[in-house]
Amino acid sequence: MQSDDDSPQADGQSLLRVAGARRTFLTPEGSAVRALDGVDLNIRPNEFLTLLGPSGCGKTTLLRAIAGFEDLDGGRLELEGRSLEDVPPHRRPFNTVFQSYALFPHLDARDNVGYGLDAARVPRAERERRVDEALALVGLSELGRRRPRQLSGGQQQRVALARALVNRPRLLLLDEPLSALDRGLRQAMQIELKNLQHTVGITFVVVTHDQEEALTMSDRIAVMRAGRILQLGPPGRIYDTPADRFVARFVGDSNVHAGRVAAVSARGALITLDEGFELHAEGTGFAPGEAVDAMLRPERLMLAREPGAGPALQAVVERVVFVGADVQVHLRLPGGAALRALHRHLPGAEPPPNVGGQAFIRYEPAAVHLMRSAP
Amino acid sequence: MSGALSARRRRALAGLLAPHSLLLAAFFVVPLAIMAVYSVLTPGLYGGVEWEFYPYGYGRVLGAPLGEVEEFDPVYGEILLRSLRLALTTVVVTLLLCYPAAFWVSRLPPRRRALVLFLVTLPFFANLIVRVYAWMLILRPTGVLNQLLGLAGLPAADLMFSETAVVIGLCYVLLPFMFLPLYAAVERLDPALVQASRDLGAGALFTFRRVILPLTAPGILGGCILVFIPAFGNFVVASLLGGAKVMLVGNLIEQQFLAARNWPFGAALAMLLLAAVLVLLVVYVVRTPHPEGVR
Repeated sequence: MQSDDDSPQADGQSLLRVAGARRTFLTPEGSAVRALDGVDLNIRPNEFLTLLGPSGCGKTTLLRAIAGFEDLDGGRLELEGRSLEDVPPHRRPFNTVFQSYALFPHLDARDNVGYGLDAARVPRAERERRVDEALALVGLSELGRRRPRQLSGGQQQRVALARALVNRPRLLLLDEPLSALDRGLRQAMQIELKNLQHTVGITFVVVTHDQEEALTMSDRIAVMRAGRILQLGPPGRIYDTPADRFVARFVGDSNVHAGRVAAVSARGALITLDEGFELHAEGTGFAPGEAVDAMLRPERLMLAREPGAGPALQAVVERVVFVGADVQVHLRLPGGAALRALHRHLPGAEPPPNVGGQAFIRYEPAAVHLMRSAP
Repeated sequence: MSGALSARRRRALAGLLAPHSLLLAAFFVVPLAIMAVYSVLTPGLYGGVEWEFYPYGYGRVLGAPLGEVEEFDPVYGEILLRSLRLALTTVVVTLLLCYPAAFWVSRLPPRRRALVLFLVTLPFFANLIVRVYAWMLILRPTGVLNQLLGLAGLPAADLMFSETAVVIGLCYVLLPFMFLPLYAAVERLDPALVQASRDLGAGALFTFRRVILPLTAPGILGGCILVFIPAFGNFVVASLLGGAKVMLVGNLIEQQFLAARNWPFGAALAMLLLAAVLVLLVVYVVRTPHPEGVR
């Protein structure tokens, strides 16, 4: 998975470089937790980068270290080649949108937005103009005199965004910015955040545990686990060619099965899975005998009553779950392996197979993605 | 508040509030009314009052030109001013001691925080007079303080029966009343707000002035009021640590009732003390910007 993202030529367009970042916390019980375990990351100018991972993977620690609220035990942070080691948070040209928004309850929206300008002693007239612009940017021009308490969750979030953007930071850090919003608003804000990032031309670094959010908004995603970055790349590449079974399972729905490469030929590879079935894959640089994890996305499996020209697996339909646009079909192979397939739910299309009945799972060898075997 | 309460809820409310209201009426409003009436009556020969209008107790303090029998004496005004000065000093000293301490305590791990809060309230378990006597043992010329100063090779300090001793005593007695409301306000302050301020480019001083101070103002105000009122009227500390040299209005009132047996004059002084506290409180509350948006 080593891609151009980490190649030397990418250094030329690095805004912030994280090198070997390490941070260990002591729990109250006295055990050590490695929140950051050697993180390397190049953040490029004007990109929308998402740090994605389950809770406790270190993504928030990394964000806070960039903001300056956490010290690193080891490694470096460099802004355009200059070390940030001795730069306190208030001297870093970054601004944060906090998860709780952290709006000042005793100031109205205007004064919240103007806070950073006041701290920087921006002259009165310019301050007023920039506050107006920032409020207009997030569509809150009419509500400038409201206190945070008098604003809805979505409006508070916009104030928090305006308060950060008004300072024209080099880097905007957003900590789970949409987690407090309800589903409809969250989806609208995903698009809006992306548009906003385009408009203002500022680098956004967003922390989230929501893979759908990450896929929707990001130029690049860094998938994190246990203090490390497992994979870094554009959403499409992360989705289609995950680096390992953890990434495959965390991003999107997937069938992942452990096995071994049985044979490699010019046409592709034959994989025998531990659960007693075989898959045909395209040749992907694994040698015979090597342990691999094979991934199949459910939407790339086709269900049919007959085996076709290509490879197919025979299975029993165990359950059919209606999930809206699609029908999710749970299948069981003779050897006991469970697979899920998506059956597009269109008018006039073939109905989903009956529960308890037999079905053939057809797939393209190109749809089988092989990954390094992970524990 | 929306709409009128239903008759049933109103009856329930009256029933719940009755014991408290009766208690306040019997033990607070009635005695206060008695004092107000006594303050304008004629002193009885052996204490008590005679039922004849006689407002000259006020004249002695305020200088109303009524004095045939009781003459205006500026000493009473001086005593009031001294009481005010020492009470304000006590407020300032306890505030300066407790504000940083409150921040320190609020950042302790929960178990140690509970311990510190327990220690702060510990003095309430011992009698006030005993505790103030302990300070006499510390401050008197041959006391603990001077012994320690002697060991350190420093000159002895003669603090006993001085205003300093009274302020030390008042601060010691009233410290918890300043600490607890301050701590409550500081603990409610969301650390994320301080981080947000730093993140937005504000230095420590700007953050303090614009975020920490306004958001903890209710606690500061509460602590100041809770310390000021008892400090202004206190007489135990002044009589033990200040002696005859530092007479406060509280001692004066005590004297009028117990020694001079001039109940109306004592009552008039008490009324003036009450009026002074009320005026200061009203000024303070009105002039302090209302911290809206602070929960």
